[in-house]
Amino acid sequence: MSDTARTSTSDPAGVPALDPTSGAPSVVLEEVTRVYPGKVVALAGVTLTIEPGTFVAVTGPSGCGKTTLLHLVAGIDTPTTGRVLVGGTDLATLHDPSRYRRDQVGLVFQLHQLLPRLSARANVELPMFGTGRSSGERRHRADELLALVDLAGREDRLPVQLSGGERQRVAIARALANSPHLLLADEPTGSLDSVATNRVLDMFREVQQHGATVIMVTHEHDVAARSDRVVEMCDGRVVGETAV
Amino acid sequence: MTFGGLVARTILSKKARSAGLVAAVAIAVLTVVTLAVTSSGLESSAAQIISVGKADFTVVQKGVSDTLSSTIDEQEVARIEATPGVASTVGVLVATERINADNPVFIEIGIPPSKLAAFGVTILRGTAFAPDATNQVMLGWRAAANLNLKVGDKFKANGAVNTVTGIYSTGNAFGDAAAMFPLPAVQGYNRVPGIVTLVFVKVAPGASSATVAARVDHDMPELTTIRTASQFGRADRNLIYLKAAVNGSTVLAVLIGAVIVGNTMLLSLFERTREFGLLRAVGWTRRRTVGMLVGESLILGFVGAVVGVGLSFLVTAVIERLPALRGILHAQYSASAFWRALLTALAMILIGSAYPVARAALLSPLEALSHE
Repeated sequence: MSDTARTSTSDPAGVPALDPTSGAPSVVLEEVTRVYPGKVVALAGVTLTIEPGTFVAVTGPSGCGKTTLLHLVAGIDTPTTGRVLVGGTDLATLHDPSRYRRDQVGLVFQLHQLLPRLSARANVELPMFGTGRSSGERRHRADELLALVDLAGREDRLPVQLSGGERQRVAIARALANSPHLLLADEPTGSLDSVATNRVLDMFREVQQHGATVIMVTHEHDVAARSDRVVEMCDGRVVGETAV
Repeated sequence: MTFGGLVARTILSKKARSAGLVAAVAIAVLTVVTLAVTSSGLESSAAQIISVGKADFTVVQKGVSDTLSSTIDEQEVARIEATPGVASTVGVLVATERINADNPVFIEIGIPPSKLAAFGVTILRGTAFAPDATNQVMLGWRAAANLNLKVGDKFKANGAVNTVTGIYSTGNAFGDAAAMFPLPAVQGYNRVPGIVTLVFVKVAPGASSATVAARVDHDMPELTTIRTASQFGRADRNLIYLKAAVNGSTVLAVLIGAVIVGNTMLLSLFERTREFGLLRAVGWTRRRTVGMLVGESLILGFVGAVVGVGLSFLVTAVIERLPALRGILHAQYSASAFWRALLTALAMILIGSAYPVARAALLSPLEALSHE
């Protein structure tokens, strides 16, 4: 990956890139439960502290609550009880959670979740709407990020014209659009071959090295082993932690 | 990419849905504009009759369903003429008759020849008819041209084969497309002796037509005075009913269209729920997400309005050529017709999108992303 966009504190359009000195947030979950309608318990009292600027993998079997945990930290779900604090701020007190998601969080979904009618560039531009950037600045930033994930020259392709690995890289570029301090990835390598998986994990490591906190949900132990710390979950609880 | 570009791309990528929404708006706008334009044209054509006589105001029977059904006794004409401030009156009987397929509603005006000048009639060729003649006629120059008749030719109308004694001009399209007969001849053929349809009144120099008209209204409550085309519309109950029907149809068209728009948008919302969830998840506010949905609808609504107006031109042209309306209906495209089109489209979009937009606004990102 080229570091041209990441090692500077601002890109040519004046948009701040990830800054190692800007301070990645800590993520703290305090006795968090999440019970869905039908009394389905997804999280049953999770307490967890993730240090700023670390690359953490959350692993465990299907249905153990990994994705729910990620959604709570992303601010797209709220705990039934307990608190989720990011950078010391209780997400439940946020006046505008969408702004938190836009400015602080980069989300990578398992199935990339690209809009099929939009080009790779346009998909990457989506989180930048409402940030005050002009359309030219958004385009420039998207092209820069696509180059960063080795997709230069494929900016105008629709998702259907890209391979699975390329789509996931577009999704990563989209997640990095607003230089998030918190990168959250849900099974990002689930549909990728080993080469593409290594490529994605290398990118996450670089993002972390440039000052972001990275939380990756995966059920693959060899993928989890590429992180700094593995948090193991089972039946909605944290059942073990391993420093890698 | 701009926000507008994003909206436009969505519209273009969902061609069937977009076309359906445009069609719904276009059909409603077509209905509303065509009704408005044709009713306005009919009203305008009908109202032209009061401007034939170059009068300060016209008197008709109050409460008639159709102005041509007005019956005013000639004694009442004399009372009108005796009203202070009235300089002169001309009582005319207006009837319609089918001459041929091209002239299904031909206007025939019965008028005393002595009143022709006061009525604003200028004889272009030939002479006036005799006061008591039963088979003489004068043709307006438009009618003569349409019927291909000249002075001395025979013209079968008003129950007789008439000799064309003259060709006249009134400076009014309605009057110039009609024929004039001696008043008794028209009264006799229509079996209404001593009756006229309209009384054209000229006020004395220095008198106020409004004051004189008000006096006639007050003194003869069975009659009503008309000074403008808009007053004519209020006096003619058929036109009142027509306007009411047009307004009712407009409301109905908007409601039906709004249901179709709402249904289309709701389907779109279900189809794109995950998309809305994704947009919310990557930081789009409710307002921006809803703005995209509304923006799409407004653009499609505007396109529908334009298509609907275009179609209304075609449909109105066809209606104008219908045998029953040929020569009577002259469609009038006023600015208000176009505003009505835009307002119709806007109302449909706003009413139709209210529920889908509320649903979109209330979507939680997580639920939307989990949508199958």
